[in-house]
Amino acid sequence: MEELILELKKEIIEVLNLEEITPEDIDTDAPLFGEGLGLDSIDALELMMLMQKNYGIKVDNSEKGKEIFKSIRVMAEFISNNRTK
Amino acid sequence: MKLGIESYCRITNEKVIVNDKTIAITCEQSWLTDIYHSAKISYPKFFKMDNLAKSGFLGSELALQPLEFDKNTIKEDIAVVCCNRSSSLDDDTSYQKTIQNNDDYYPSPAVFVYTLANIVTGEISIRNKTMGESAFYVMEQFNPQKFCSFAESAFLDSNIQACICGWVEYYNENCDVLFTYITRNSKNNKELNIDTIHTLYNL
Repeated sequence: MEELILELKKEIIEVLNLEEITPEDIDTDAPLFGEGLGLDSIDALELMMLMQKNYGIKVDNSEKGKEIFKSIRVMAEFISNNRTK
Repeated sequence: MKLGIESYCRITNEKVIVNDKTIAITCEQSWLTDIYHSAKISYPKFFKMDNLAKSGFLGSELALQPLEFDKNTIKEDIAVVCCNRSSSLDDDTSYQKTIQNNDDYYPSPAVFVYTLANIVTGEISIRNKTMGESAFYVMEQFNPQKFCSFAESAFLDSNIQACICGWVEYYNENCDVLFTYITRNSKNNKELNIDTIHTLYNL
């Protein structure tokens, strides 16, 4: 799981262009939206694309998205249980 | 009405000039990112912008920096007017690549949001909290006469006291930017006219 968490942090930094942030800067259990990384609605859409492209998981329900994107750890657990890639 | 240029910035692939002074850029990453770091700007959203928006953002930032422009107060009397040749074609091309192949069809929302040239004026307005009129014109090539006309048209609204006006062209890794900060009843010697704009563009 720790390996997936690190991989996810790196992918998020790359896909969201978080230029001045390193994986170590991202708190695994902190909320992704509203505070911390300061992500916005476009970032949420980009994360949905990342889930589909890299892990074969289609997130087509915004309520489900809210749950999945609670934190990096929640995301990683969801990916681990549902990935097709 | 005498319109004057209080400050300006010229950016090409080779140089950055602000109010007649060439700015030294430390080359480490890409040209636009290097300008950002050299100018000591702190605005993380910059890294999410496409290259056209980055060019416009930097041009306006550097033109306003010497004026210690107030970025914290909402201003309804400042307009933002931009123009260029290629519209958002650079980002349009990037977006097309994300939807080109049916087997690799992942349209990027972050790229899509910049497939409109006037997003640049929005980014500049948000950054500087300006809420006056904004406009983006597309024309065949840089034209000082039209540049002046576009700026003057912003001042037809008697409430407008200043205008952030720029030529912001970015296509195929070629950056060509001229940003000016123009005010009404200026006491500055640099009057807004065709000759001045021609001279600044050809620096």
